[in-house]
Amino acid sequence: MFGKLLLTCGLSVAAAGLCLAETEIGKSAPNFTLPDTAGKKVSLADFKGKYVVLEWYNPDCPFVGKHYKSGNMQSLQKEFTSKGVVWISIDSSAPGQQGNYPSEQLNAISARDGAARTALLLDPDGKIGRLYEAKTTPDMYIINPSGILLYKGAIDNKRSTDLADVKTATNYVKEALDEVMAGKPISTVSTRPYGCSVKYSSD
Amino acid sequence: MKTVSREISSWILRGVYIVFGMLLLWQRPAVAQQYNGKELVKAELISDVSAIEPGQKFRLGVLYKIEPGWHIYWKYSGDSGIPTKVEWHLPPGFKAHDLQWPLPFRDKEPGDLEVFAYNSEILLFTTVEAPNTLPPGPVSIEAKTNWLVCQSLCVPGSAQLKLDLGSGSSSASNAVQLFDKYSAQVPKPLAKGIQAQFNRSGKNLEISVSGVPNGEALDFYPFPPSDTEVGHVSRNGSKRFLSIESEPKPINQIAGVLVVGSGDKREGYEVSGAAVPSTTRNLTGSAGLGALLQALGFALIGGLILNVMPCVLPVISLKIFGFVSEAGERPQKAFWLSTAFALGILVCFAVLAFVVVLVRATGAQVGWGFQFQDDRFVVVISCLVFAFALNLFGAYELSVSARATHGLAELASGQGYGSAFFQGVFATILATPCTAPFLGTASAFAFAQPSWITFVVFMFVGLGMALPYLVLAIKPKWLRFLPRPGNWMVRFRQFMGFLLIGTLLWLVWILGQMKGADAIVKLGAALLLISILAWIKGSFWTPVSSARSRILAAAAMCIAVLIAAGVYSFVTQPSQLVWQRFTKDSLEKALASGRPVFVDFTADWCLTCKTNERFAIDTPQVRKAFSKQNAILLRADWTKGDPEITEILKDHGRAGVPMYLVYPRGGKEDQPTLLPELITSQTVLDALNKS
Repeated sequence: MFGKLLLTCGLSVAAAGLCLAETEIGKSAPNFTLPDTAGKKVSLADFKGKYVVLEWYNPDCPFVGKHYKSGNMQSLQKEFTSKGVVWISIDSSAPGQQGNYPSEQLNAISARDGAARTALLLDPDGKIGRLYEAKTTPDMYIINPSGILLYKGAIDNKRSTDLADVKTATNYVKEALDEVMAGKPISTVSTRPYGCSVKYSSD
Repeated sequence: MKTVSREISSWILRGVYIVFGMLLLWQRPAVAQQYNGKELVKAELISDVSAIEPGQKFRLGVLYKIEPGWHIYWKYSGDSGIPTKVEWHLPPGFKAHDLQWPLPFRDKEPGDLEVFAYNSEILLFTTVEAPNTLPPGPVSIEAKTNWLVCQSLCVPGSAQLKLDLGSGSSSASNAVQLFDKYSAQVPKPLAKGIQAQFNRSGKNLEISVSGVPNGEALDFYPFPPSDTEVGHVSRNGSKRFLSIESEPKPINQIAGVLVVGSGDKREGYEVSGAAVPSTTRNLTGSAGLGALLQALGFALIGGLILNVMPCVLPVISLKIFGFVSEAGERPQKAFWLSTAFALGILVCFAVLAFVVVLVRATGAQVGWGFQFQDDRFVVVISCLVFAFALNLFGAYELSVSARATHGLAELASGQGYGSAFFQGVFATILATPCTAPFLGTASAFAFAQPSWITFVVFMFVGLGMALPYLVLAIKPKWLRFLPRPGNWMVRFRQFMGFLLIGTLLWLVWILGQMKGADAIVKLGAALLLISILAWIKGSFWTPVSSARSRILAAAAMCIAVLIAAGVYSFVTQPSQLVWQRFTKDSLEKALASGRPVFVDFTADWCLTCKTNERFAIDTPQVRKAFSKQNAILLRADWTKGDPEITEILKDHGRAGVPMYLVYPRGGKEDQPTLLPELITSQTVLDALNKS
């Protein structure tokens, strides 16, 4: 009897812990399932065993534009997806807000930009954005093969919309991935992200 | 030949003119960013003088005129955006001081984002010192500025600005008033009597403010170091909490502006984050030797007290008699039998400690942090402590299943040291119904301790519990000092329940310090649920209740938990609408924008207000309508009886809250629609759509 009670206690504590999932460095990144631009459902759990990069995306935001117009984001995507990293862009713009487009248009934009990401996921009700406390576009997250969050924050250290800054900036995502894939600890674990605010709905 | 060369040269000249013309066009002094045909930000370089003398100090600034509805950012932009940047290009010998930033506004954006920004007009300025000798002729000053101007979307912008000042004798310009106006808005050093102190507690930076008159609105705009990420400022009484979300280097102070008052009467005070020695509130206490010895002492006493429990006390004398008789002529044998028995007890405690450490380690893998700085941990422990207290009071009983201990009973029967050992284990397990509350509480607290401390403490508890056996086996004569079992044991056990409630009170205080009154109420609700579950268990799921009764009890408990979870998620759904504070000024400003305005007069204690808000205002249809019409939502909080609000209530013929005023698009201040006290979503929608 006591054993059963203890088990119930344990389970409820477990449930409480899971319900109050938070995004914190060093802790498990919360799982999510979102549709991609082809309508297929994609989950974070699908990629256990691989490094995953989450990139909060809004094609019309000048800060995102700085990285796509300069080719920086695409080259990062190419470099790391070829090393087996899963690169997921997430668009959390609400309907009627900047950056919210129908799938075909987003595909066209991706094709025009030459994006080399694994998937572009749609989060129009902003649930996953809010779950991850994504504040800006871009806002970058790196998750390790066991599902632990390793990095959260800005893409690089030049907070501007100036394309010229891309070359001279320290790219935190590249640095972290290079370090962790070489078995070294990450030197910059979390930074303040910069960009346009994620266009959540007021709903 | 000559004609051809002339033609060529004329073409070349034309080409030069064209290129030169294009270059000229590109050299426009202020690059205007157009958006939908509008120039969102007009930047101008101005000074409070039109001519300067050698060695003179004068003020220089960039005046930004911002399109209504858009904003540019403060030196700390907040969750998104980019701070406005100004670079001075001064002639040689001129020195510029730090850029002055008038007090910004705090703006909230959907998704719980907070930014610090300026709208309509702002002057960012500095003091400049002219050198002691000025070359003849006008002084040409240049500045470069870039900004991000946002509404719901953002447009970056920049401007290259120029200003010529005469030299010779000083003369003021007509911009002096502008400089004075914005100068007054720049945060001042902390006024006499106002004190702000920082205290670091886990993830939170606690800002204690004193010297501000009661009732004055208090706010803090942080200015964190460049890569430190901070959360939003939350309130608890006169304290403000800022959660530090990421810090490349650990910090226990932060610069920022303390804002006293609201609306146009705000006063900003520059806080540089005076250092306070970092007192990480480690509530479980890092084990200094003194603290450790104290803990072990308590553990020992705790173990001894366990012997007084109804499940344990009667057993002691029986066991001692048994050992003594078994030892027969050799009194030392009784002692060694007792020692074997004690070993059995200690092994049980070792196993318990091991289980706690194992669960803690597994939990850490999954990402649980067991710390008193974590409010969830405090909530869980509080619930466990309360559940155990209820058990001590007798609300329900725990029992050990006979089947589980059957095998053990076999091993424990018989004589010899081996049997004595298993008897020790058996007795400890059988004592569980009485010892569980204490050991359960101890285990829960042990989660926040390093493993070795857990082991040592539990060993000492076991030692305390085993002590009577060890002592009495040597001196069986002292058995007469052992209290006789009786009803007093039950009373004592119930009384111990109050000790646990005392512990609960301490935990509640901790939670209150961390999260405020709301969290305490939520915990209270959880404890209420636990009481109900305890009552169901105690009444319907006892060793003597029928199987049917037990099944019904289990079902009832599950249903109770589900209902509670449902109510909790419903009640704690944060309002998804963005409310601004109502004042006469904010109403005027809102109406001036031409957008529809909805004013909600409410109070925390007004149940009707809360019901209306939950069921009529915070509904999907109304939210959509607000969003479509771009309505401004003002909330007048009458919880403390603000006299300004009382007056307005009276003006509309109401004695109290709730009251709802709707100003449809382009409405006037004296023509609002007054809604009835009980409203539905339809009422709100109808009032909004009236034009």
